[in-house]
Amino acid sequence: MSDTQWPRYEVFQQDRAGRPHRNTGSVHAPDSEMALLNARDVFVRRPNCVSLWVVPAEAVLAITLEELEDNPDLLSISDEAETERETYLVFRKQSQRNSMTYVSHVGEVLAKSPMEAMRQAIKTTNDQQTYVWWVVPEKFIVKSNEEDISSHYDPAGDKKYRMPQDYRVLKQMLDYRSAREGE
Amino acid sequence: MRSESSERIKLGEFEARIARGEKIEPGDWMPEAYRSQLIRMISQHAHSEVVGMLPEGAWITRAPNLRRKMILMAKVQDEAGHGQYLYHAAETLGISREEMLEALLSGRAKYASVFNYPTLTWPDIGVIGWLVDGAAIKNQTMLARCSYGPYSRAMVRISAEESFHMKQGKEMCIRYAQGTPKQREMLQDAINRWWWPTLMMFGLPDDVSKHSELLTRWGIKTRSNDTLRQEFVNELVPELHTLGLAVPDPELKYDETNRNWIYGPINWDEFWQVVKGNGPCNEERIAARRKAHDDGLWVRQALHAYANRNQVNKTS
Repeated sequence: MSDTQWPRYEVFQQDRAGRPHRNTGSVHAPDSEMALLNARDVFVRRPNCVSLWVVPAEAVLAITLEELEDNPDLLSISDEAETERETYLVFRKQSQRNSMTYVSHVGEVLAKSPMEAMRQAIKTTNDQQTYVWWVVPEKFIVKSNEEDISSHYDPAGDKKYRMPQDYRVLKQMLDYRSAREGE
Repeated sequence: MRSESSERIKLGEFEARIARGEKIEPGDWMPEAYRSQLIRMISQHAHSEVVGMLPEGAWITRAPNLRRKMILMAKVQDEAGHGQYLYHAAETLGISREEMLEALLSGRAKYASVFNYPTLTWPDIGVIGWLVDGAAIKNQTMLARCSYGPYSRAMVRISAEESFHMKQGKEMCIRYAQGTPKQREMLQDAINRWWWPTLMMFGLPDDVSKHSELLTRWGIKTRSNDTLRQEFVNELVPELHTLGLAVPDPELKYDETNRNWIYGPINWDEFWQVVKGNGPCNEERIAARRKAHDDGLWVRQALHAYANRNQVNKTS
């Protein structure tokens, strides 16, 4: 076999139950099972995860506000096949603030094609400021299992030494100074 | 002619977006030089994280106790992760992971020259955390606000994790400063060796840094090399003095008017020698990366075979 790069998977992470899954970046992997494991190693070294999703990067249809304004015809591209409607997950970027994460999961639409899903996503969210939309067919998303939480994500919570709060350097520095002054 | 003027209009809109504090995202229009400068910076930054695992990784087996060993392993794992965040950010600009990996393994790629110095004693691990990571954080905090979304996000994540790296190193140095005369001597020796390579990490002085103007205008670098370097020196010198440690700079003096610690001349000839491949460990670092890549071949093959088998099972 040739030793070339594996496909890229986009990764979505959920910090806590009830919070949306948010895109954190991507990993390369030979399949989605390995992508989930790589995503865990790359993005979950701190206690901030209860669920991960991965999806092949090529299954994501992305559009930015600038692309849309530059090219309003983009959405009229017809790619509707004679197929059944299926579920697409919709993700959006809603803020320009500095952040660790990109687009957040905001809902679902039913559509026959990615472009139709995108049209619906934009139409249903045009009341709120959005900078980037992603639509992803649900069938391509692979999710981590509930029973993996305790073995994959919980252990990070015990590794307090990974957190800066575990080091009292300010106090140690002051203690050192007063000890020397007392000499 | 028409395309030239439309290009100019686009550039104006692009610069206006940056001035408004908007993030540029994959898919958005950007000047070719913005793209190429970011690929250069982000890939070098990713390589630095990956090569940065080596000087410290060498000490994992020799850590003096279990706590220090777990801390060091966690730190080196973070650096592997940081390399991954950054390769991802570079990929969004159209370069492949393979191209970047090839550039690193072939020795063509640049990375932070500080990692071409050897870690001779255990206190080096503390000093790298306090000084080298402390210097890196200055740069990373600035880049967390940069105009390119994927780079900014990687940097926000990295900065948050890097704070642990700096603090564990500082804690080690405070402990060593409280140790035996021999331990204090080892700490001072480590500081003497790492001080100048750390100051070089901030890059060339502002008057000769060739990329700075464009990078500033496009919101990638929002603070200059010399500004960050001065800020770092001003923070570190009083703390080193508190611990009774010397800064290996005979010309170091305090300027009352500007409240700056003025440092002596940096040896940029040494910097260029190390960048060009003549540092103490350049060959060793690349050889270690190549060996890791070659030794990992069977793992990649096994994973590939496993994925293929599952694919066949699914379709049959």
